Amino acid sequence: MGAIEGIITGFQTAFSLQSIFFVMIGVFIGTFIGMLPGLGPISAIAVMIPITFGMDPTVALIMMAGVYYGAIFGGSTSSILLNAPGVSGTVATSFDGYPMAQRGEAGKALAIAAIASFVGGTVSVVLLMLLAPMLASVAISFSPAAYFALMLLGLTAISSLSEGSTVKALISAVAGFMVVTIGIDAQSGTQRFTFGNTNLLDGLDFLVIALGLFALAEVCTLILNRKDKSIQNAHKIGSLKLSKQDWKEMTGPMSRHSIIGFILGVLPGAGATIASFISYITEKRISKNPEEFGKGSVKGLAAPETSNNAATSGAFVPLLSLGIPGSGTTAVLLGAFLVLGVQPGPLLMTDQPEIFWGIIVSMYIGNIFLLILNLPLIPYIAKILMVPRPMLISLVIMFSMIGVYAISFNTFDLYMLLLFGVVGFLMRLFSFPAPPFILAFILGGMLEQSFRQSLTISNGSFSIFFQDPIAVSILAVAALSLFVPLISKLRKGNNNAKKKH
Amino acid sequence: MIRYLSVSLALPPINRIEVIALLKSMNSRISLILLVIAVVYLILSYQLPSYAYTEVDADAIPKALGWLLVFLAILLFFSKDNETEEQRQKRNIPKKEIGMLLGVGALIFLYIFLLEILGFIVVSALFIFFCSIFLGYKSHIVNGIVSVAFSAFIYFIFTSLLQISLPSGILPL
Repeated sequence: MGAIEGIITGFQTAFSLQSIFFVMIGVFIGTFIGMLPGLGPISAIAVMIPITFGMDPTVALIMMAGVYYGAIFGGSTSSILLNAPGVSGTVATSFDGYPMAQRGEAGKALAIAAIASFVGGTVSVVLLMLLAPMLASVAISFSPAAYFALMLLGLTAISSLSEGSTVKALISAVAGFMVVTIGIDAQSGTQRFTFGNTNLLDGLDFLVIALGLFALAEVCTLILNRKDKSIQNAHKIGSLKLSKQDWKEMTGPMSRHSIIGFILGVLPGAGATIASFISYITEKRISKNPEEFGKGSVKGLAAPETSNNAATSGAFVPLLSLGIPGSGTTAVLLGAFLVLGVQPGPLLMTDQPEIFWGIIVSMYIGNIFLLILNLPLIPYIAKILMVPRPMLISLVIMFSMIGVYAISFNTFDLYMLLLFGVVGFLMRLFSFPAPPFILAFILGGMLEQSFRQSLTISNGSFSIFFQDPIAVSILAVAALSLFVPLISKLRKGNNNAKKKH
Repeated sequence: MIRYLSVSLALPPINRIEVIALLKSMNSRISLILLVIAVVYLILSYQLPSYAYTEVDADAIPKALGWLLVFLAILLFFSKDNETEEQRQKRNIPKKEIGMLLGVGALIFLYIFLLEILGFIVVSALFIFFCSIFLGYKSHIVNGIVSVAFSAFIYFIFTSLLQISLPSGILPL
């Protein structure tokens, strides 16, 4: 099937009444959950997974994609109104969005955010349509060795780009990989680390990890901050109207950061958070009056908002065409694919074009819904921020529990969920990033499989990883991704030392 | 005499200072815990059975991961604490709040324990009600209505619309 036919199939799928309805639901729920302080797209997607059971996989995944970019947008609303980003990808939004809201122009700030997100989202979907099939047709000839290298790159990239210590991020990734070795080995049938417990034979479900490390750990933080009164003082929204001057100021950053955001979203390990920060910094650097930034600048708000939405679409490129997620959120999304029996990867485009193209095309609709939903309705949706914290916390805990129970029908998994909630909270306390853990957990099985397949092909010789030119170059990039930040850190340290003398 | 005894029971002074200095940094303490985990994991990995005709057996990756964790834990032991003040502040949790966390943990534990005995609606309603009170929600009537209505609503959505059966428990559903 050619690309054109594929796109037509995609349009047919995405424009069916059912798809449109579920995109709307997905975007709405995503915005809703993303707006809640502390809860990001990972929790939003994980909580929604049980709801998709029994649904048509295409429609379910279209909805999940909507939850993802909806959650990113919801996060920017709480950034602007409360200076409390629900999602790390919208921290940069609060830099100029919150001061603008404090000036009494919250409506304007929300309108700018909605329009910038729409432009960023829409432009990057066009790029996604061009790039994903190209990458898929290249990736179809990748050897197991190349796949192994690619996944390793994903892990090293996310570790070196995580906030704080790279060593801690790597430890987090190794721990995630260790947890996934629990259960029956898929290739030899050996029982590993099951301690004779039949509940562990199939390994731990990824929802246990995702909801434990993210949702429950976030609940702990919510409990500690439950007396934070800022929630009650949300600013009045005010007029949503933008002046001609505002529009003029927005066009530049929107066109620039749609592209930058998309590229950063495609790269492994980067994603919305890094894209929004880089966009904010570049916009400030090229601005004629950088002193306005941080005080409610239109450009300073439009840049990160365009970028984080563009990055979310960009993140679909490796997910859909290689089957390899580049970030914690897309890793959970991959989990959602697998739960529904869909294996993303180079074959998805040819085998199940309605899913591949349906998801991509549905993003146009999703972005339009996001705009419709958010411009007139945002003051009403923002009411959720008034839900008393104790109630909110209880409800989030209950949702996480049902999410896991509905997948396993087993209380053992619920105890495991509690355990990983504690682990996730401790990881937060001691600054171990959780995204490398979940990415390693999701990639672990595939990583081990491709590693052992490669060595079986080569009769145990490691040279196979160095004979395949694709694998070698990716491995080299993976090594660089670990060492370059280290070297630049050392150099910075040297410079600082020199300055002191 | 008593004083003398207590001094002699303590560690020799120099040794003690050295140990404290080494363990002062948070990183080194964490790395010791990680080392213990890595060693236990490695011991278990080396006990995995092996088969004759496989090129790479099921124990290859676990062994590699175990040694990798040992290596990273050692790296962490010697790396400087460069946490920001904000990150350090996170660990300053007042005792009362730790009690709160443990209390919610205990409520979750009870929820799991009773879920299949009393059924989803009853346990969820009780959980939302008591957890909200425990965390300081004062309006009991609203709380009661929300907890019951919400649990019943979710039960209905899952069992009727999504065809996922949740435990009905003691209620005649």
